[in-house]
Amino acid sequence: MSAEVLEVRGLSVAYDGKAALRDVNLTVAAGEVLALLGPSGSGKSTLLHTVAGFQDPQAGEVWLNGRCVASSTSAEPPERRELAVVFQNYALWPHLSALDTVAYPARRRGAGRAEARREAVEILTRLHIAHLADRHPAQLSGGEQQRVGLARALARHGSLYLFDEPTAHLDTHVRGVFLEELAARQRDSGAAALYATHDAEEALGLADRIALLADGAVVQVGSPDQVYSEPVDLWAARLTGPASVLRLTAEDGPVLVRPEWASLGGDRSAQVHDVWFRGPHSDYLLDTDHGRVLVRAPGPPAHRRGEQVTWTLRRSWPLVSVEPRRSGHGQVPSNVAGPE
Amino acid sequence: MSRGSGIRRTAVVLVLVAAVLVVVLPLVMMARTIVTEGSGRFGEIFTSPGLGEAVRNTFVLAVAVTALAVPVGTALALALRSPTLPGRAFWRVAVLLPVLVPDFVLGYSWLRAYGRSGFTDDLFGLQWAGVQGPLGVVVVVTVNAVPLAFLVTAVGLAARAEPALERAARASGAGSTTVLRTVTLPLLRPAIATASVLVFVLTLGTFAIPLVMGSPAGFTTVTTRIYANLARSSEPLAFIEAVALALMLVLIAFLIVAPADSVLGPRLRVTRVASTDPGGIAGSRRADRWTATVIGGYLVLAVGLPLLALVATALTRAVGLPPTPANWTLANFHAVMNFRNGEALVRSLVLAATAATVLVVLGACVAALERSRSGRGVATLVTLTIVLPGSTLAVGLIITYGRWIGGTLTIILLAYIAKLWAFAHRPISGALDRLPPDELHASRVSGAGPWVALRTVVLPPLTPALLAAWLVCFVTALHEVTMSSLLYGPGSETLAVVVLNSQELGRVGVTSALSVLLTLLLVLPAVAFWVLMRRLRQRHLVSGVPGEVSHVG
Repeated sequence: MSAEVLEVRGLSVAYDGKAALRDVNLTVAAGEVLALLGPSGSGKSTLLHTVAGFQDPQAGEVWLNGRCVASSTSAEPPERRELAVVFQNYALWPHLSALDTVAYPARRRGAGRAEARREAVEILTRLHIAHLADRHPAQLSGGEQQRVGLARALARHGSLYLFDEPTAHLDTHVRGVFLEELAARQRDSGAAALYATHDAEEALGLADRIALLADGAVVQVGSPDQVYSEPVDLWAARLTGPASVLRLTAEDGPVLVRPEWASLGGDRSAQVHDVWFRGPHSDYLLDTDHGRVLVRAPGPPAHRRGEQVTWTLRRSWPLVSVEPRRSGHGQVPSNVAGPE
Repeated sequence: MSRGSGIRRTAVVLVLVAAVLVVVLPLVMMARTIVTEGSGRFGEIFTSPGLGEAVRNTFVLAVAVTALAVPVGTALALALRSPTLPGRAFWRVAVLLPVLVPDFVLGYSWLRAYGRSGFTDDLFGLQWAGVQGPLGVVVVVTVNAVPLAFLVTAVGLAARAEPALERAARASGAGSTTVLRTVTLPLLRPAIATASVLVFVLTLGTFAIPLVMGSPAGFTTVTTRIYANLARSSEPLAFIEAVALALMLVLIAFLIVAPADSVLGPRLRVTRVASTDPGGIAGSRRADRWTATVIGGYLVLAVGLPLLALVATALTRAVGLPPTPANWTLANFHAVMNFRNGEALVRSLVLAATAATVLVVLGACVAALERSRSGRGVATLVTLTIVLPGSTLAVGLIITYGRWIGGTLTIILLAYIAKLWAFAHRPISGALDRLPPDELHASRVSGAGPWVALRTVVLPPLTPALLAAWLVCFVTALHEVTMSSLLYGPGSETLAVVVLNSQELGRVGVTSALSVLLTLLLVLPAVAFWVLMRRLRQRHLVSGVPGEVSHVG
């Protein structure tokens, strides 16, 4: 038996004849959180919807726990896939109270009303929202709605959790409860999560692995550190954080420099082009002989615009290509070192 | 700050004057007539033969039609959401097309299709005797009401049942029927209730179909009795009875609608912009094909075949001959191309265009007033006029203005304005709601006065809605007969009245030819409008109208 909870093979999906996903291959192992990171329109939601069964693929297959649930010829309906979804705007039913919302999945498994509610109260208590049980969505704040949405997903006892860009980030408590839940499930059944987001910081902080998506295709898959420090190209580098491109020698290709890979003081000289105070640290954009580089240093700004300074390069990563990746990535951070 | 008070004052005066003239005064005058001329004779009125039966028939009809049309309309709305349904865009337009067929033409074409010596009788020897009578009336009024029930529930679906809510239920382990039972239908409840109230009240006031299909079989309703009573208005008691019946209709309508509006209104008012999500969850291909077949079959049997029978009758030499090429003739069409019918046509077009233009101005005024707290009451009142039975309005106008302008085109124009006001108001009000107030503020702080702001930033985005409102009023006025048939006089027959009179005279071929022409007259502007709207929408998409742009994450 494979340890993979989800396996996506050669998946292609089209909306009205326009390709939304192209030959996507991914696996998610038991207990693993895989983040799908990409700008809006890159196909994150389409991938989640196809895995969930809201959308059928034109080609390729979706395997859940060693069972093929979707191919170009047949597809299991969503209710038989045993996965839980946290929706973009939580998708809470306006006519149901928080309690009945969380009891809903148990009811569909055939549990009686009382039993389903008992289980729902338990989950709500774990998320510290038992006092909201009788409220309807209109009477809940955004954060409370998020917890109810997650509680409903937990009540599903699924082996795979899908997060469709939850509008607000999971707050630390909710995230803690969720990861604990995942760890517990991993021991007995092997649960996993697929988390779609366009926020690099969230993806880097939450996921065990990250898959970068562009125009419906997977660009890179790796650990957060790999994706951040060893991006496949400049586009991928800019998606995961501020990136400067330098040409150190005439023969070598361009290299990537992250702001914390360089520091002020040392043997290289430069002129301050601009400087931004960011609270815990300050960002300096320096004009050097090799190009413009963003350098991060602790504390408030110590130099002013136009001042001559020295700096040190401690680390860099060779870039294969600095050509823009295909057309149409309007949302990618475009400025090498502009304000975030 | 002036806040465009000049515009507001003009609008208030216009709306109040119009409302008093065409709605309030006629109702008051009717009540006065009953009190002054009817008091002491109520016993006589309420025991007059056939009255109880007409009232009972009216209620049974309204209940039966509501029980049939609302489930059918809801089922259509649900079926047409499946994103994988083949030809979904086509079906969405097709189920609304019956609106373009005047109700008396629809009734008449059913008789021509399924009745004695009708289409199926001539070709296959199949006839349905009950089509002329109560059962036929119920079925055809239902067919006529289905588009309304569909529209109300479809709008409710788009506004309240977000696709994500159903996906959440499916992902929670519910099958598609369980989702329908636990999520979709509960969310739709206010829309279904609204559709029921509307269909019920409008059926109470329905006139042409019972007249065409029911009267020959002795089936009377309150509206056809009012018509018959006014025809013999030389008898004072018959007239008083007509007034009493007309008042009764409006009282019942308001007794049902007023509480329904206060309960349902707030639940239906949603500020959320309808989502651009294609909606639904991919269905199985077999179920989709089956759905498409059922919808197609319904439309063919309910509208397609009857209209075909109508055309066939118009093209056939004599009633009873099979509609085969050997019997084809254009004689019926030649017969209707005469000067008098031409006059009626021009009269109808001018009347409908005038009414539509006045109504768009009045509708826009009410929509603008609605945005202030004081104006909301006026708007509610105008919305309620949708349930004013045409027969009631006609009787009220005769009492109030009959002495001076009875039998003229002016009194018919007043009737159209009273009856169609809400039709003009709704689309404009909806479009205005989608207009962000900051767009107006931005124009004012950029230096535009109220009228300039209206012209430069409010009217352009409203153009499609204004056009739509104009066309809805134009088309509806063109096929109106309930009021026109009570109000017309020598030299003021509209084309629809000519068709109705010809039906009553039993001239089958000529009536069919006239009905075909009248229907074409309605279809042509509708098609032109559809093309125009597509153009407008494309142009706006190019220039990037906010809220039109969809993005799939």
